Amino acid sequence: MNDAALISRLLALADDELILGQRNSEWTGHAPLLEEDIAFSNIAQDEIGHALVWYTILHEQLRQRHPDRLVFWREAHEFRNSTLVELPKGDWAFTIIRQYLFDEFEKARNAVLAQDVYQPIVDAVGKIAREEVYHLMHSRGWVQRLGDATDESHRRMQDALDDLWPPALGLFEPIEHDVEFSAQLDRIQRAWLDAVTPTLTRATLIISPDAAPIFGGRRGQHTAHLTLLLDEMQKVARSEAPDAVW
Amino acid sequence: MDSQLKTFEVFHQSKRGEPHMHVGAVHAPDAELALHYARDQFARRLPCVSLWVVPSEQITATTPEEAEAWFDPAIDKSYREASGFPMRDIVKRAEDWKDGDKKQGGQVDL
Repeated sequence: MNDAALISRLLALADDELILGQRNSEWTGHAPLLEEDIAFSNIAQDEIGHALVWYTILHEQLRQRHPDRLVFWREAHEFRNSTLVELPKGDWAFTIIRQYLFDEFEKARNAVLAQDVYQPIVDAVGKIAREEVYHLMHSRGWVQRLGDATDESHRRMQDALDDLWPPALGLFEPIEHDVEFSAQLDRIQRAWLDAVTPTLTRATLIISPDAAPIFGGRRGQHTAHLTLLLDEMQKVARSEAPDAVW
Repeated sequence: MDSQLKTFEVFHQSKRGEPHMHVGAVHAPDAELALHYARDQFARRLPCVSLWVVPSEQITATTPEEAEAWFDPAIDKSYREASGFPMRDIVKRAEDWKDGDKKQGGQVDL
């Protein structure tokens, strides 16, 4: 396995978690219930922790820059996250649908990564998958609760699903330089569809049949949303020189 | 309409074999989410091996106003307390008896 493929793959893994974690942290202080504020902040922290696991492999095993440099000093076009995770948080329905679609993707993807030939990835997935069980329980539970609770919750959930389905399909965009993993994406997508379809259907939500995937994130082509997110996330670190000690 | 969700009392077990202790309450739409919230609020900074959540309405409890009638006897009933039997003395006497019996086969006044 060549380093370019691994680096590409790990950056995609890390950037997805970092950007999603950053988006989820925007709910801190604003979630619909106090208890949910705490629970969701916990989940956001986990995600950023997972990002750090991946960035650490990049730095320690593959001679890439220190995680702080990767997080705070790259520009938007250097990030390899999917479009799905950079979209603004929207209302609670939007956040929950996005979280659920991503959590099921992670589960299907981790099942494949657990069989990887590269041991650091296998070890990392072992740790991460344990916390993900909890995340999926949480997001799936909310989909089930809100999908058919009231007319308003149903409408908001359906609107969210309509908006999120095309970028969710973009999760299966091939990874640059990584032929081996990209070849697994079809299989991962099928497992993902087998998981999300019954849950969404039972929640009385309809999946758009002819949606086209939104690609580009894995090649550094992002929406303006990512630029705004990075402006905010990187602002404090960039107020000092790159080699400042914090 | 009351927009507050119902509350669940949370009981936390720090180690197997220990009793579950009441640590507080959470608001939640149902028991499954209550358990989830209980973990984040009451098991984050303390060692925990088990959590129980119980809807607050399921708990039947005495009130502070009733406590005197329920628990405070009108006349002295200190005979109910175990304080008349100092354990240390009993254990010592039992140990002496064990040794004495082996040597002398004598009787012991317990």
